[in-house]
Amino acid sequence: MTFNPTRRQVLVGGASLATIVALGGVHPAFAGADRTKITVRVEKDLSNLDPANRSGPIDLNVIWSVQQGLISFKPGSTEWELDAAEELEQVSDTEIRFKLRSGLAFTGGYGDLTAEDVKFSFERFITPDAEGKPVTYAKDWSALDRVEVTAPLEGRIILKNPAPALYTIALADGSGRIVSKKAFEALGKDIATKLVGSGPYVLKEWTPREQFVLEINPDYKGPIKAHFHQIVGKPIGEQKTAEIAFKSGEIDFTAIDPENGKSMAALPDASITEIPAIDYVWFGPNIEKAPFDDIRVRQAIRYAVDIDAILQGAYSGLYPRANALLAPSLLGYWKDAPVHARDLDKAQALLREAGHADGFKTKLTIEANARYEAIAQIIQANFAEVGIEVEIEALESAAYWALGENDASKDLELSLIKFNGKFDPGFQTQWFTSAQVGQWNWQRWKNADFDALHEKGGVTVDPAEREKIYIEAQKLLDESAAFIWITHNLNAFASRKWLKPGVLPNGNNWLYTAFTQATA
Amino acid sequence: MRSASLQIHLGFKLATAALAVAGSVVLLMALTRLIPGDPATVILGSRATPEAVATLNARIGLDKPLIERVFTFFGRLASGDLGEDVFNGRPVLSLVLNALPNTAALAVASMLCAVALGLPLALFSARWPGGKTDRMVAFLSVGFISTPSFVVSVFLLMVFSVHLRWFPVLGAGESGNLGDQIWHLVLPTAALAAGWVGYIARLLRSSLLEVLGENHVRTLRAYGVSQTKIMMKYALKPAILPTLAVLGMGFGELLGGAVFAEVIFNRPGLGSLIYDAIRTRNYPVVQGGVFVIVMLYVLTNLIADLSQSLIDPRERARLTSGQGH
Repeated sequence: MTFNPTRRQVLVGGASLATIVALGGVHPAFAGADRTKITVRVEKDLSNLDPANRSGPIDLNVIWSVQQGLISFKPGSTEWELDAAEELEQVSDTEIRFKLRSGLAFTGGYGDLTAEDVKFSFERFITPDAEGKPVTYAKDWSALDRVEVTAPLEGRIILKNPAPALYTIALADGSGRIVSKKAFEALGKDIATKLVGSGPYVLKEWTPREQFVLEINPDYKGPIKAHFHQIVGKPIGEQKTAEIAFKSGEIDFTAIDPENGKSMAALPDASITEIPAIDYVWFGPNIEKAPFDDIRVRQAIRYAVDIDAILQGAYSGLYPRANALLAPSLLGYWKDAPVHARDLDKAQALLREAGHADGFKTKLTIEANARYEAIAQIIQANFAEVGIEVEIEALESAAYWALGENDASKDLELSLIKFNGKFDPGFQTQWFTSAQVGQWNWQRWKNADFDALHEKGGVTVDPAEREKIYIEAQKLLDESAAFIWITHNLNAFASRKWLKPGVLPNGNNWLYTAFTQATA
Repeated sequence: MRSASLQIHLGFKLATAALAVAGSVVLLMALTRLIPGDPATVILGSRATPEAVATLNARIGLDKPLIERVFTFFGRLASGDLGEDVFNGRPVLSLVLNALPNTAALAVASMLCAVALGLPLALFSARWPGGKTDRMVAFLSVGFISTPSFVVSVFLLMVFSVHLRWFPVLGAGESGNLGDQIWHLVLPTAALAAGWVGYIARLLRSSLLEVLGENHVRTLRAYGVSQTKIMMKYALKPAILPTLAVLGMGFGELLGGAVFAEVIFNRPGLGSLIYDAIRTRNYPVVQGGVFVIVMLYVLTNLIADLSQSLIDPRERARLTSGQGH
C-alpha cells in the first residue's frame, strides 16, 4: 500500500500538526514546580488596605503580612506573640507599657518605626478625620484613652476602662497594625491602595481584579520568618472556578466546600485541611410579633425542629452541632448546654396550651443560597408536622443584610442567620443586647440581665470569672427560646501536599507568613 | 442636497443614540435606589452601626437626592470622570479602561470565530439544501444554539484545563505578552462563540436560500454559471445583509453575554467588573461600567446600521435621494 498525499492533504496535515504542537504543550501556569512561590485563591479582590478602614479578612490577611503590630497571632492559634514590641506589660487594668525592637524600618524610605507611629496608629481610631468622620473600625479601640510616648521606642497605652478583649480584637488584630505616620501624611487617600509597612513581606504588586503579589521584605528585622519568596493572590469569586483551578494546578491553596473535601482529597497532589469554625448559625423568631411573643410557641418550635436532620440534609452530616452561642474553642464555651431533642408531642402540647392547636402561618426569611434554602425547606417540613405553615422568603445577600438598617427587621417573623465570630466571647454576645434591637438583634429580644453580663464580661480581667459570666449569659439566651442554634460551621481547605497553610482557628484569617513547606 | 440628507440621517441616528445612553444611565440610577442594600453595609460588614452606615453613605454621596446624583454624574462625565470606586477611591474610568480591552478582545474574537465557522457551514447547507450536510449542520446549529454558554464553559474547562492542561482556567494572560493573552482567550472565546456559530449558520442559510430562489439566479443558472460562482459572487452579498444587521446587535449581546464567560473563566473584563460591583453595591462602578457598555452597544448598532445602508444599494439610494430616515 502506498501513500501519495496531495498538496492539499500535506497542507491540512501540516497545519493540524502545528496546531497540536502549539496547543499540546502544558501551559506555564500549570508547571507548578517552583516551590519558592505559592499561588493562593482569595474570594474577592483587595479593597482597602488602610487597617482602620479595611473591608474584611482578605484585606486584613495582606495587611498582617506587610505591617507589624506590637503583638501578632501565633500561627494556627488564638494566642499571641510579641511582634514589633520587644516587651509588652499589662501594668494595671488600664495601662499597657510597651518597648519596641530597635532597627525596625518602614519600606519605601519612610524611616524607622517609633513609638510616635504607634501613638498615631492607635489614636486614629478615637480621633475623627479632617471631615469629622470616624474610621470604620473605631469600635475596636473604644476603650482607648490615649497613647503616651515616653521614649523614642517606648510608650504607654492608657485605657478608659479595663478591656481584656483588646489583645485579640485590636492589638493582635488588624486594628493593632502600626502604620507609618510619615507615609500616611504623604500618601493621603492613596493609603487605601498603597501598603507601607515594616513586616516580613512587601506588597510588590496589586493589579486590581487580577492578582496581588507579596514578596519577602529583605530589610525586615523582626522575629517572624517568611517561608516563601513570593505569594500570589488570585481573586476568584466562584467556588467552582476555584476548585477547577486547583484541580488544573493553577493555584496551590483554596478554601473549598467541606462536602467536596473527599473528591478533592482523591487528587494525587492534594491535601485537605478541616478546621472547626467559630461562627454561629441559628434561626429564631421576632419575639415582638404574635404568636412568637408567647414563650410557649417559641419552645414549641424548638421542639418541632430537627437540628440533626438539618445537619444531615444541608451539611452532609459533616458539620458539628451548636448548642449555644460560643464555639468550643472559645473562652466561655458552655459544654453542658442542653441539647434540645425533637419532641413533636411536647411541641403540639405547647401549641395547644398557647391556643394554636391548629397551627398558624408564618414566614422564614433567609439569605438566598443553596444551603440556607435546604435548611429552610427542612424547617418548613418539620413545622408542617405540627401544623405550622412556613413560607420561605429568600433574599439576595445585600438585600438580606439591609434588614439590619433602620429597624428594617421589625417586620420579620422567623429569620435564619449566620454571623462570623471573633476570638473574644464579648464580640459574639454584643449583638444580642437590648441596644442592638433595631440593628442586628433581629429576634428583638431584650434582657437587662444579659446586657449587664455582657457589660461585665467586657471589663472583667480574670479569665475564669469571664468564663462564668459568658456561660450565665448563654443560659439566658437558652431560656428565652428565641435562638435555635444549628452549627458553628466548618472550614475546609485544599492545598498541595508540599504546602502547609497558615490558617487561624476561625478559618477566615490566614497568616501568609505561616504558610510553610510541609515536612511530610 | 444629497450630502445634506445623509448628514440629517446621521445626525438623527447620533441624537437617538445619545438619548438612549442618557436614558439608560438615568434609569439605572433610579433602579439602583430601589434595590435594598448599600455599599456601606458591604464595606463595614454585616453588623455595622447605623451611624457608621450613614456616615459612609454620606461620604460616598448616596445620601443625596437622585436628581442631584444624575446631574453630578453627567457633570463629571463632561470632564471624562466616571466617579470613584467607593471602597478605595480608585477612578472608575481607570477600572473600566483596564477591563474594557479584555471584554472587547473576547467579544471580537468570539464574533470572528462565529463568522469564520458559521459562514462556511451556511454555504455548505445552502449549497445542498435537504442533503446530509444540511441536516448535519442543522442538528449541530440547534445544538450549539440551545446549549447555554456556561455549560459549554464548564465542559471546556474540564476537558482542556483539568484533564489535558492545555489551556489555563484563570485570567486574561500576562500583561504585554500577546501569546499568553491569546492562550487565555481560546476557551472563553469558544464558549461564547458556540451559540453564535449555530445562529449565523441558520440565519445565513435561510437568506442564501431566499436569494438562490430569485429570478436573476435562475437566469444565471440558465446561462450556465456554476453554482459555486453563483453562491460566492451573486448570492452571498445580498444574503449577508440581514446577518450583518444581526451581527451589529449581536456584538452588543456578546458584550452582555461575556459576563458569564468572564465570571466562569475569572477573566477581569467589563462584565465581571459590573457583576462584582452589583454584588457589592459599588454604584459608581456599576454606573460607569454600564454607561460604557451602553455606549458600545449603541455605537455598534449605529455602525451596523450605517454600514448596512452603505452596502445595500436600495438603502443607499433611498438616503441619497432625500427620503432619509
